[in-house]
Amino acid sequence: MEQNNRREILAIHDLRKTFGDTVALDNVNFNLYSGEVHCLVGENGAGKSTLIKILSGAEKADKGRIVAFGVEYSRLTPHQSLEMGITTIYQDVELVSSLTVADNIFLGHEIKTKFDLINYVAQNRLARELMDSMNIDIRETALVEDLSPAQQQTLQIVKALHINAKIMIMDEPTSSLGIEETKALMEIVRKLASQNIGVIYISHHLQEIFKIGDRITVLKDGQVVDTFDVRRTDLRTITKSMIGRDRSLFYDRGVFETGEVILQVRNLCRHGLFESVSFDLHRGEILGFGGVVGAGRSALMNVIFGADRRDTGDIILNGRAINADSPREVIDRGVAMIPEDRMVLGLFDLRSVLENIAIVTNETDGLILNHRQENAVVEELIKRLRIVTAGIRQAVGFLSGGNQQKAILARWLMTKARVFIFDEPTKGVDIGAKEQIYDLMLTLAKEGKSILMVSSDMPELLSVSHRIAVMREGRLVTTVYSKDVTERELLGYFLGIHDDGGDTK
Amino acid sequence: MTDLGAAIKKKMLANQWSFLLIVVIILSVIAGTVNSRYFWLGNLSNLLGQISVLSLVACGATILIISGNFDISVGANIGLSSVVMAMLMRTGVFPPLAALVGVLIAIICASLIGGASILFQAPSFIISLAAIGVFQGIALFITQGTIQTIYGQFETLGGVKLFNVVPLLFLIALLGYGVMEFILTRTQLGRCVYAIGNNERAAYLAGINVSRRKMMFFAINGLFVGCAAMLLLSRVGAAQPSTGTGIELQAIGSVVIGGAPMSGGKGSVIGTFCGVLLWGVIGNALNMMRVNPYIQDVIIGLLIIFAVAVSSLRLRAEKAMME
Repeated sequence: MEQNNRREILAIHDLRKTFGDTVALDNVNFNLYSGEVHCLVGENGAGKSTLIKILSGAEKADKGRIVAFGVEYSRLTPHQSLEMGITTIYQDVELVSSLTVADNIFLGHEIKTKFDLINYVAQNRLARELMDSMNIDIRETALVEDLSPAQQQTLQIVKALHINAKIMIMDEPTSSLGIEETKALMEIVRKLASQNIGVIYISHHLQEIFKIGDRITVLKDGQVVDTFDVRRTDLRTITKSMIGRDRSLFYDRGVFETGEVILQVRNLCRHGLFESVSFDLHRGEILGFGGVVGAGRSALMNVIFGADRRDTGDIILNGRAINADSPREVIDRGVAMIPEDRMVLGLFDLRSVLENIAIVTNETDGLILNHRQENAVVEELIKRLRIVTAGIRQAVGFLSGGNQQKAILARWLMTKARVFIFDEPTKGVDIGAKEQIYDLMLTLAKEGKSILMVSSDMPELLSVSHRIAVMREGRLVTTVYSKDVTERELLGYFLGIHDDGGDTK
Repeated sequence: MTDLGAAIKKKMLANQWSFLLIVVIILSVIAGTVNSRYFWLGNLSNLLGQISVLSLVACGATILIISGNFDISVGANIGLSSVVMAMLMRTGVFPPLAALVGVLIAIICASLIGGASILFQAPSFIISLAAIGVFQGIALFITQGTIQTIYGQFETLGGVKLFNVVPLLFLIALLGYGVMEFILTRTQLGRCVYAIGNNERAAYLAGINVSRRKMMFFAINGLFVGCAAMLLLSRVGAAQPSTGTGIELQAIGSVVIGGAPMSGGKGSVIGTFCGVLLWGVIGNALNMMRVNPYIQDVIIGLLIIFAVAVSSLRLRAEKAMME
């Protein structure tokens, strides 16, 4: 193994961490070599985040030893951790959006002129050199707010490189990135490894991990299940060890028929985001929307839901046009929306599960609440969707991602919605809850409700949808039956390249 | 820590108001030991009267702060609406009618702030800051800066005491708390208060007409402020443009001490009540202990900082649990 001539730069022994009565990590052993990409996988709540927080100094362990670069610590402070070159790149980008790329790279240790002013010329030149060395094509004088999410993520990596990171922790770096962007990021990660930096890579996307990882450590319920060498294992083994039961990666939706047209969208247009989109949605159909990030899928859904205005075009629901300028009227017509960013667009995190579920129904009921009836309905929904909560009065912010998503779904099930818009329905949701959400979507479809589903998860798109509408650069380019298309063909449509046997697997 | 200690700590973390109540009781015991007159009925009755006006203003501030808004012009609003009431009474208008006109003016003033904040999509804090000058200026102009006395014309509200102990003022304040509690916990509108304060965008996407709802919150605040102006006028028997100055900060202070974060989304009427009670008791107890009035301000300030510190620690502990 190559690892023999690589240095062990980090080792964790018998780590334990509890929060009150819950054991977040127990008896965790983990190590990292220089120049290695060590992937960390596990369902939500398996303890991945806690482990990174301990390494970055944000949390302290109850028990255990951390040996970093040969020095033993019982706990790390954020300062010590940074000093040693451990940097964490979080999902939420931590950059100053009103400053330029170069300014952000040098933030906190600016290059000064002899008058103690910032030497922009030198900063920009060095920034350029640094990015060129990584083959990164971002203008050093661009403002961060003008960068795409992928570019911002990349910039964070460059910034970490500049402060001499030796261990880089990446927490779901590709969760908001499209396919080509993911590919570019993975190249950068490989390059980091070739510069002898140790990378701890956390991701829900197992395919990704198999492409870039050297080793994979699986966490389950706060314990290390096993550490695998990527070359000597396969997807099935990893999935099995993550969830402890064997399952196909592809959800089996079964076959059922769809009915008449419910929703017609004709030449819908919002300039700059999408142009002249037309499609039909049938009763009992799940219509998937695929494409790369930025193809205009979410923007389209927002317009259909009435959250954003349209420039031209018609939306006809059950034969009657929708001409709404707010979601209110669209909701009254029986449309529901489960947004992608549930923290920002869906949840009232400080409020109870009850209030979160009842909020839409409240708006259409009378002025005075009927607490008893409301409690009964909400309790019933919690039971039906198997939402894990300490009670209907618990603040929804305390729930796990999957249960939060189910709470938002419950909100719409309580209404008489007939058309459901799901934007990335299982983003940040663990595998167990994922399957439950698919089951619910299928149940809805079988009940005769119709679903529009935006998804960037290829297996999800292929296995849950009846048909897949492919969007590229703001246009709906084609609609295919999911049973007739392969993953590779679909990717070809996304990227606008005809399937010529290229390396798009 | 003993089990009892742990239980008390847990309870305190769970309820801001139970902590405030403990502080109020401790303060009362100290004041009562130093000066036994503290517990005399006369003093307690006086205390209840003192906090009544603040109670109504704080109720109004509660609905606004929970919904993520502020109106710091309520002091000036009270000044304007109470001088209008007094001037009308002086010209011979039937006092209840004059009071009603004043309350309507308070509602209009508060709604204008809400309307401007929604229309210009500007923070209501700044709009209301600017409105202070507007309201006070109008009040100064119409009164030419003179005090408007109405002795004897409108003192029933402020003077009557039930069983010679409980001021009618305080009963009205209690009614105000009751109404606000009902709005917040039993109505659709109350749910919107919390939802909009917690996450305005999500509220919009859940089908709530955010602008219309916000207008209602401001108007309700105006109603409470107008009633407060009416009680104050009856209690004092005179009004001037500076009447009510400073009460907005006491009211916002009471709500925040009562456990509502400045960013909105949380808070309760009982919390506000305890915040108001703390504010009233501190002042009264210090008087009873004959503390130098200059030093009183220092102590009041420090106690408030202490209460806010505990409140903030509590929120942090809660947030940590949410992680």
